[in-house]
Amino acid sequence: MRKTKLIFASFLSLSLMLGGCSGERTSSESDVGKTTLTFFHRWPKEPEKTYFNEVVKEFEKQNPDIHIKTEAVLNDSYKDKIKVMTGTNNPPDIYFSWSDEFASQFVRGDKALDLTSYYKNDPTWSSQLVPSQVKPYTFNDKVYGVPVTMDGKMFFYNKDVFEKLNIHPPKTWNDFIDVLKVLKKNNYTALQFGSQDTWTISHYVGTLNQRLVSPEVLAMDYNRKTGKFKDDDYIKALEKFQELLPYFNENTNSIDHEYARQQFSNGKAPMFYAETAEIKLFGPTKFELGMFNFPEVEGGKGNQTNLTGSPEGFMVSSKTKHPKEAMEFLKFLTTKHMGEKLVTDVGKYSAVKGTVNENNSSPEQLEAVQSILNTKEMAPWFDMSIDARIADAYLTGTQMMLNGDKTPKQIMRDVQKAADTVRFEAGK
Amino acid sequence: MIKPDKFVPYLYLLPALVFLLLVYIPIFQNIGDSMYNWSTFSPDKAFVGMDNYFTLFKDPVFYEALKNNILYAVISIVFQVFGGLIIAAVLEDKLIRKFSPIFRTVYFLPVVVSMTVIALLFSFFYNPEVGLLNQFLKMIGLNNLALPWLGDSETAIYAVIAVSQWQSIGYIAMLYIVSIQKISPELYEAAEMDGANKIKTFFHITVPATKEMTFVAVILTLTGAFTVFNEPYILTGGGPGTSSEVLSTYLYKTAFSKDMMGYASAIATVILIITLLISLVQMKIFKTGKED
Repeated sequence: MRKTKLIFASFLSLSLMLGGCSGERTSSESDVGKTTLTFFHRWPKEPEKTYFNEVVKEFEKQNPDIHIKTEAVLNDSYKDKIKVMTGTNNPPDIYFSWSDEFASQFVRGDKALDLTSYYKNDPTWSSQLVPSQVKPYTFNDKVYGVPVTMDGKMFFYNKDVFEKLNIHPPKTWNDFIDVLKVLKKNNYTALQFGSQDTWTISHYVGTLNQRLVSPEVLAMDYNRKTGKFKDDDYIKALEKFQELLPYFNENTNSIDHEYARQQFSNGKAPMFYAETAEIKLFGPTKFELGMFNFPEVEGGKGNQTNLTGSPEGFMVSSKTKHPKEAMEFLKFLTTKHMGEKLVTDVGKYSAVKGTVNENNSSPEQLEAVQSILNTKEMAPWFDMSIDARIADAYLTGTQMMLNGDKTPKQIMRDVQKAADTVRFEAGK
Repeated sequence: MIKPDKFVPYLYLLPALVFLLLVYIPIFQNIGDSMYNWSTFSPDKAFVGMDNYFTLFKDPVFYEALKNNILYAVISIVFQVFGGLIIAAVLEDKLIRKFSPIFRTVYFLPVVVSMTVIALLFSFFYNPEVGLLNQFLKMIGLNNLALPWLGDSETAIYAVIAVSQWQSIGYIAMLYIVSIQKISPELYEAAEMDGANKIKTFFHITVPATKEMTFVAVILTLTGAFTVFNEPYILTGGGPGTSSEVLSTYLYKTAFSKDMMGYASAIATVILIITLLISLVQMKIFKTGKED
C-alpha cells in the first residue's frame, strides 16, 4: 500500500517536473554563481557565426563571472521566432533587431530596454558610433538599440562590359533605361534579379517609393496609425518597376538572391542590385566592379538622393535581470577592435567610426562605406519600415506582378485593405 | 501479492491524464483563442466572437490554400495509395521477388531522408537554368516543357506536390508489402489454376485482401495532405504570390509573421474540423476495426 503511494507520488512529481521544465530553464544555470546572459542572433551560418562565437569567448575570458549562451536562427525564421520569444516570460537578454518599424514593435510592446542612460553615461563609447546609424534605433528621443553594422543598397556593375559598349553609370531613370536597352541589344541579360524571397522585391519597391512619393505622404503612410496608401504615386512606383521587367533575367520568381549573386559575380549579367555588405561575397571577380546609387527619377516627388539601407544591431530585453552586464557585452561588441574584426572576418561594415580602412578592406568596400557616410539621409529597408501585414500584401502582390498575374492597381487595392486593418487596430 | 487499492486505478490513468494535458487542452484553448483578437506583443486580448471565422470565410487566400490542400489530397491518393499498391504488388510478384529487397530499399530510402534536405535538394532540381529537370527536358528536345517550375503561379503547387509523392510512395508501398505477404499464397495458386491473369488476380485478390491497409493508407495520406507544411514552406514559401499556399503555411504566416494570433487560431480550428470530418467519414465508409 505504502509502496503504491510512493510510486504514485514519484510519478506525480515527475509529471510536474515535465510540465515545469519549459519555464524554468535558465534558473538552474545561475546556481553556479555566474551571471548567465542569453544572446539571440540571426546568423547560424558562416562567417558571422564564428565571428560572434569568438567575440563571446573573448568577452567571457575578460569577464570570468559572466557566461553567455548563444542561440541563432536564420533570417526569415528569425523574424518569426523573435516575436514569439519576446512574448514569453523568458525572453533572450540580448537579441538582434533590424531598425525602424521592426525595432519599434518591441518598443511599443514594452519588450525593449531604454538604453539612453547608458549612451549618456559613457560618452567615450557612444561617441565612437556613427550617429546616423544610431538614429534608426531612436524612438521618442530615447535610444533602444546598439547598431553593429551599417549597410546600403546600390547597383553594382561590370565595368569591363560598360567600357566595351561605351556606356556610363546612369544618373537618372531615363538614362538607366537607355543603358538597359543597349545591354539588351548586345545580348546581355541586363539586370540580374532573384525574387523567390520577397525581401529582394521590397528593396526595389521601397527605393522607388522613396523616389516617387513625397516625403510627407510617405511619413504618413508608413506610420501605422495614419497609413492609407491612397496616393497614385505608389501605383506609378510599381509601374516604374514593371518597366524593368524586359531587362531582368527570365523566371526571376524561381531564382533566389544567392543564385542571382553568383550569376552576377560569374559575369553572366552585367548589373545587379545588391547590398554593400555583399561585396566580399562577390569574391574575387574577373571583371572590375563599379557601383552607383539608385538613379533619380525624373518628375518624382520624393527624395532623389536617399540611399536605401539600414543598420543592424541589438536590443536588450526589458525583462532582463542583468541589464548592466548585457550592456557591457554590447559595448564590448562595438569596441574599435571588435569592429575591425567584423570588417576583416565578415566583410560587413561596423557602425564604429574608423573601422573600415585600407588594412582590412578593398577599394570597392571603402567606396561603398564612403557613400553610406556621405548620404544625407538613409531610407530604411521597406519591409522593416511598415507593418508586417502591409508588407505581406505589398510583396506577395508584387511577386505576382512579376509573373504578370497582377496589376499595380490591384496590388495597391490589397495594400490599402491591409493598411485599413492595421490603422484600425493601431487607433484602438 | 498486490491487494486492490483505491489508488491503483488512478495510477493506470496517469498516462492518459498526461496525454489529455498535452494534446486536448491546447486544442480547446485554441478554439477559445480563435474568438479573440490578439498578438504576441499586446498582452490584452479583445473578444470578437465569431468575427475571425466570418473574415476567414471571405478571405480569398483561405480558399486558395484550401484548394491546394484538396489538390494535394486527390493527387496523393492516386499516386501514393493506388501507386503504392501497384508497386507493392509488382515487388511481391513471384517473377521479381528475388530482387525485391533491392527495390524495396530503393523505394524506401527517401522516407528516411529528412524532408528539409529533400526540399533543398529539389529546389536545385527545379532551378530553371541549371536544374537537373530542365537540363534533362532540354536534352531530349522538350524545350517547351522546360518551365520555371517553382516560380510560375500555375505550376508551383504541382511541383511541390510531386516532391511529396516521390518521398512518401515508398512508405505506403512498404505498408502494402507487409499486407500482401499476409495473403495466403493458396488464393493466388487457385486463381492461377482457374486461368486468371495477373491483372485479374490483382483486382480480385490483392485489392480486397488489403482493404484494411488501404484504410490506413488513405487516412495517412489524407491527414498528411491537409497538414502538409515542410514541402511548400521550404520550396516556395507559399509563393509566387499566394499560389502555392496551403492551410498550414497560411496559418504559420498569419501567426508568426503577421502576428495575428486570433485569426491563426481560427485557421487552426478549421484544419482540425476538416481532418476530423475526413476520418469520421472514412470510418463510416470502410467500417474499420472488423477484419473479415
